[in-house]
Amino acid sequence: LQDLHQRLDQARFAPPLEGAAFHYGFNSIYLQKVVAYWRNEFDWRKQVEVLNKYPHFKTTIEGIDIHFIHVKPSYVPHGRAVQPLLMVHGWPGSFYEFYKIIPLLTEPAGHGLNEGDVVFEVICPSIPGYGFSEAPRQKGFDSIATARIFHKLMNRLGFKEYYLQGGDWGSRITTNMAQMLPQSVKGLHLNLVFISRQGLRRMISVMLGAYVPWLVGLTKEDVKRSYPFIQKNIYTLLQESGYLHIQATKPDTAGCGLNDSPVGLAAYILEKFSTWTDKSFLHRDDGGLESKYSLEELLTNVMIYWVTSSIVSSMRYYKENISKDPTLSFDARVGVHVPTGIAAFPQEIVHAPRVWAKDVYKNIITYTYMPSGGHFAAFEE
Amino acid sequence: EFCSSLAGIMLLEVFLVLGTAIIIIIFFPSKKKEETLPFKEGWWGKGRKPDTEEDTTVRPFKVETTEEELSDLFRRLDQARFTEPLENSCFHYGTNSVYLRKVVSYWKNQFNWKKQVEVLNKYPQFKTKIQGIDIHFVHVKPPRLPEGQSAKPLLMVHGWPGSFYEFYKIIPLLTDPASHGLGDKHVFEVICPSIPGYGFSEAPHKKDFNSVSAASVFYELMLRLGFNEFYAQGGDCGWLICTNLAQIAPNHVKGLHLNLALVMNVGFTHLLSVLLGRYLPGLFGFQDEDVKRMFPFLEKGLYKILLESGYAHIQATKPDTVGCGLNDSPVGLAAYILEKFSTWTDLEFRSLEDGGIERKFNLDDLLTNIMIYWVSGCMVSSMRFYKENLQKGIGTQKHEKLTVQVPTGIASFPNEIMHTPQAWAQKKYTNIVSFHFMPRGGHFAALEEPELLAEDIMQFVEKVEKEQLWRKK
Repeated sequence: LQDLHQRLDQARFAPPLEGAAFHYGFNSIYLQKVVAYWRNEFDWRKQVEVLNKYPHFKTTIEGIDIHFIHVKPSYVPHGRAVQPLLMVHGWPGSFYEFYKIIPLLTEPAGHGLNEGDVVFEVICPSIPGYGFSEAPRQKGFDSIATARIFHKLMNRLGFKEYYLQGGDWGSRITTNMAQMLPQSVKGLHLNLVFISRQGLRRMISVMLGAYVPWLVGLTKEDVKRSYPFIQKNIYTLLQESGYLHIQATKPDTAGCGLNDSPVGLAAYILEKFSTWTDKSFLHRDDGGLESKYSLEELLTNVMIYWVTSSIVSSMRYYKENISKDPTLSFDARVGVHVPTGIAAFPQEIVHAPRVWAKDVYKNIITYTYMPSGGHFAAFEE
Repeated sequence: EFCSSLAGIMLLEVFLVLGTAIIIIIFFPSKKKEETLPFKEGWWGKGRKPDTEEDTTVRPFKVETTEEELSDLFRRLDQARFTEPLENSCFHYGTNSVYLRKVVSYWKNQFNWKKQVEVLNKYPQFKTKIQGIDIHFVHVKPPRLPEGQSAKPLLMVHGWPGSFYEFYKIIPLLTDPASHGLGDKHVFEVICPSIPGYGFSEAPHKKDFNSVSAASVFYELMLRLGFNEFYAQGGDCGWLICTNLAQIAPNHVKGLHLNLALVMNVGFTHLLSVLLGRYLPGLFGFQDEDVKRMFPFLEKGLYKILLESGYAHIQATKPDTVGCGLNDSPVGLAAYILEKFSTWTDLEFRSLEDGGIERKFNLDDLLTNIMIYWVSGCMVSSMRFYKENLQKGIGTQKHEKLTVQVPTGIASFPNEIMHTPQAWAQKKYTNIVSFHFMPRGGHFAALEEPELLAEDIMQFVEKVEKEQLWRKK
């Protein structure tokens, strides 16, 4: 804590351009407010207790320590079986993103959710290289390796069949898990769908979709969220994927300063919590962060990266997963046949219409246009 | 009979397509008019522009340091947190932290910033206010001039992540060539400004300060210093700024010398030459050396760009985010900058555990450059330059479509990030006087191969002066 406070006290800020808001990245004037809160009001010891309210465990799989929380329901309705649910976070998130949704899943009745009397026991691991899970020392640790390790984890905990949920990297990992061992996956739920490029057919579908959406299987809501296409898909992606480009090529360079400057780390991570929650937040001087989240919970997530020094290893995950030609990897060609549910949030970075998701997910049971929310669905909504 | 008529139809179709393509290429070439680029007015100071006349005095400047600055730096170096690299990753994942530790140890224990400040101050430096911001520059006059000769003014512009310091080794070769075996036919007085937002030049406070803005500011600088005609030299951002300067003021720029010349307007002919150039180099004006450096194109062109342009992508979109931590952690700053001095000097260095940096540069020079970014706190503003230039896309701006008629000399170094063949460069630089394949060297030519670069500048100026080429525009 002393070390952290000293670094916060010595932070050097560069003033933003006049009228820049969040268009050039995290606004340093607002950042100074965040740092003042972090230094003077944020209580890390209290947050550590909050983190410890759920049971944590570690176990060694394939040579590395895997961290996870395991929350069992305190009350099981008479005659109902408890469904095991593995929830996987992404970047720059952590297992902590699930802290608000866990009680809704382990104790639905206590929160007014009585749909089908389903009760879950929730397992949230940390991806190796993130938070309290040990980072791999060898090259090549990708989502397929992660999927395999998480299957082994569930197995070790005594589960033969389970549900999976994920967004961001969690979406890719759980998808790989469903492709790898479909017999163990009762159902797959995603709040983000990675759309693979399908080439000419997709291009034609996109062009026609602007005029005769019904002909190519697009709904009104799809059109509303996807068009103007070049603007919303290509420009937005280019504007927002700088981090992805540098992390997929030079993670050790990109993460070095962030592991040494907590202020730099906070700016980098919180920029995503702003822009990926609502694109209109770019126009706000404060990035709209506190309109959806509390600084306390945002900084708790940042602290997980800080105290574990895991920012560099978390970034390496991008290089391990993206360097290879995406069309050649097996998981691009193997379909997903387990029952799949998709929650399409309106402020997700890029919208994936059902008709395109079907290229990979052959067995979509539910596809819902969520009324509000962005990328960090579990955290925000 | 049916087959032959079918073949006849197919042949006709092929001719029609080819014919149309040829007509399009010949009669509708990309129109590049010979107009000048307008000078860009601007006011980049804080708040509103005051009504008073701008102060145009040129004040002497000296770099200074304090004990506090040094102890703050050492404290941060002492508390640096490193992450172990993956086994056998060398520089493939970016700057290797095992090597970085060695650099930091040298930085703490052997690097002498006070001594380096004296090195920086050995050349006269000045500041002057232009368009609302303080512009820093080095101005070195020749120690002696042959009878009857006058010094030729030469503006040299650095790039990112470099600084005016990159020119400290080449300056003596240009201001005092006789003492360095380069003859005394052409003697220069050299002006090396810092781009606004870099080093000791004030950073613009308003949005939209791009290469044309920088060129306009430097044009004003040269006029203020009393130079009516001058030469301009640049690589990296300096290439773009000097090119713009030649487009804004062709009657004042006697000659333009570049060690980088990227193609911004990629068209159909470029695509065609990439597809077929390996097999029909003559048709596309490629020389043997061009083919050697460019092909196989996927590997040496496309994949290389993708692998090495992550920094440009994030700086062109979120400079304030990515620069934040680098302005707060000197180790992070060093890692970020040193990676470029490794990879852009020789791509093979990625496979070395120490990134090969010390084979071509010494740590004192590298750390002096890094210290300029650190003590001035300019990393964020230096990165914003990428956004201001690239946010509208590549090839969309007016200056990218205009040609350059000023006599141009290009020194093409083998390890430069992207190779531009003369056939492509001359579409933009219509008056190429010299184009040479340099025998060795990479992106940071002035610092790495000052003799080669100085020789090339000399022979270029010789050609321009001998034939008085600047008068023939």
